[in-house]
Amino acid sequence: MKILAIDTSCDETAAAVTENETVVSNVIWSQASLHAKFGGVVPSLAQRQHEERIDWVINRALKNAKTQMINVDAIAVTVGPGLGIALGVGINKAKDLAKKYKLLIIPINHVESHLLSPLAQSKTNTNFSHNKYFPAYGLVVSGGNTLFVYIKGVGEYEVLAQTVDDALGEALDKAARMLGLGYPGGAVLEKFAKQGKANSYPLPIPMIGQEKRMEFSYSGLKTALWRLVEKEKQEGLNKEIIANLATSYQNVAFEHIIRVLNYYLSHNLLPNTNYLFLGGGVGANTLLRKKLRVLLKSYNLKLITPYSKRLYGDNAAMVGVSAYLKNKNTKVINYKIEEIDRKPDLNINQDI
Amino acid sequence: MNIVKIKDVKNELVVEVLQKGGLVIMPTETLYGAFVDATNPQAVEKLTKYKARPFGKPYSVAVLDQKMAEEYVKLNEIAKNLYKNFLPGPLTVVSQGKHRVAIGVESETGTLGIRIPDYTFVLDIVKKFGKPITATSANANCKKRPYKISDILDNLSERQKSLIDLIVDAGELPRNEPSTVIDTTLDDVAILRQGVVKLNSENFILSMSSENTQNFAKELWQKYEIHTGSRAIVFALDGPMGAGKTVFTKGLAKAMGIKEEITSPTYDLEHSYNTLPNTYYLIHIDAWRMENSKELQGINFAKKITDKSIIAIEWADRVSDEIRKYSEDAIIVWVKINYGKKENERNLTWDIV
Repeated sequence: MKILAIDTSCDETAAAVTENETVVSNVIWSQASLHAKFGGVVPSLAQRQHEERIDWVINRALKNAKTQMINVDAIAVTVGPGLGIALGVGINKAKDLAKKYKLLIIPINHVESHLLSPLAQSKTNTNFSHNKYFPAYGLVVSGGNTLFVYIKGVGEYEVLAQTVDDALGEALDKAARMLGLGYPGGAVLEKFAKQGKANSYPLPIPMIGQEKRMEFSYSGLKTALWRLVEKEKQEGLNKEIIANLATSYQNVAFEHIIRVLNYYLSHNLLPNTNYLFLGGGVGANTLLRKKLRVLLKSYNLKLITPYSKRLYGDNAAMVGVSAYLKNKNTKVINYKIEEIDRKPDLNINQDI
Repeated sequence: MNIVKIKDVKNELVVEVLQKGGLVIMPTETLYGAFVDATNPQAVEKLTKYKARPFGKPYSVAVLDQKMAEEYVKLNEIAKNLYKNFLPGPLTVVSQGKHRVAIGVESETGTLGIRIPDYTFVLDIVKKFGKPITATSANANCKKRPYKISDILDNLSERQKSLIDLIVDAGELPRNEPSTVIDTTLDDVAILRQGVVKLNSENFILSMSSENTQNFAKELWQKYEIHTGSRAIVFALDGPMGAGKTVFTKGLAKAMGIKEEITSPTYDLEHSYNTLPNTYYLIHIDAWRMENSKELQGINFAKKITDKSIIAIEWADRVSDEIRKYSEDAIIVWVKINYGKKENERNLTWDIV
């Protein structure tokens, strides 16, 4: 099944062509460079930029896949969660194309597609069976989400823990901004963190001792960093201090996730569950992956990650793969074009 | 449950109910209060059940005069000054307690809030009763401020209603603010709730925990709730990173009856939440990623105002020009949250522009 997928949920304009689980092309036009100038997202600008770029991105995705619209079997589009006006651009484009080429349109949950992104394949593999991975655990760590779930199968999720305030990616971006590393600064923070000494600053691990509440929280840690930075600023920040702060902060931020997962796994490890899926932009952080692997090893679980860096952050290839999997595993739903609409506050278990 | 009009009620009846450990709803100069014998543990327990309050939230008590107050708390110079200048009146003065009231009335640190209502009916009752009575608002935790009996009864379960022994109905009360609460036991005198009585020119309170901040949001909501449906209400939140803007919004949402978890909208720029039943709609916006006020137009802020939405907007200072444009069409409450001296302390100020 050849799918053209579109995602315009937030800052990136993305389109991809997928063939079953295989990614044929994956084009991402990031607004980060544009926003860097402004220091943030510019919503009206975001909408206009999505509108200006969407045709180019779709054409590029088709061209890279060496195919044309007439060969496409279905269109997949992200309907939420995300920024309403940005989502609208992708949805409208998907509807236009679906009408023009009389194609099935499959609405997709952005967070679900992050969750399933490790299943995307780089090459056609006729023996590939995604079902052998299920049931599994899943972790989505991105700018807008921190979500730990039990995946019974495609479309069947049980939320085990989620954030009660800031998402992990946001907490890292905000720390980077506090340290003067720009926005979005999570990736820059990681670079600095590699040069610093771990635990050189006494930052509190969030909700330590209260892991059984199964919640992620980053507001307290953010506050603690703010106080430290204000204190250090009086003496003057230098590269070494920034690196040490970055290392300590990142370490504690990840330690919190590990502790919550560890609490859960030590109490509820389910039989026949062998994998943890990792998706979302922060998943690209090597320290986080290392910490996860160490944790999972003691429970005989394996970490499954997307095959390419371009599948971690927001992208459309994961949307195409999810659409294929959903279409295959749930009875084919005939989505009516006019009923498909943006769902900015969509959660993982909500019907689309 | 017995409802009696204030002109028909005999003070002896009220005193008798209180003596038996009963719960009485009576008017005061601020709003309807729920009163029980503050020295009777069973009565206080009953009150806590009625209010559906989490354990550990203290009650203030009403007394007749300073003399009676001094049987229950130690008054320092500051407190004595406040008594002299403001009481009787809509002010609650928190002092070090003498542990002569039932458990759960004093705070965990042993402080006790004292109030002398400027309301003859209640003072007469306290005089006849001879002991302090709890002076808490008659609404259940986080529910609408009670200015008339139906405000109370409409928001109670049958079980809560069954706990009321007597209601003294004085009709609809003027919409006065709840009492100002001042803590005199700290190094600096701290206002814990701001009512009509003001110690300085600005609206200011000290929050000592995220619960306090959430409670403050609840108070502000209850103050402006009356405008829902007629105008948009905007809570414009300003304060440094990690000061508690999302915490404030959590308290606001709770007071509005929203059950969902409020999480940071930084990434998506806005989240919206429905109350159950769908009376209100809270839109939670984050301007952290916005660089100038025009960007607020990009998420249809004007339409949200004409829709008379309830809006909490973090980092409002970044887009303040745009927000101020709507000062005619919306109630705009500017809330400033700043770090206090001690680790958990926050200074909260607010203003209507």
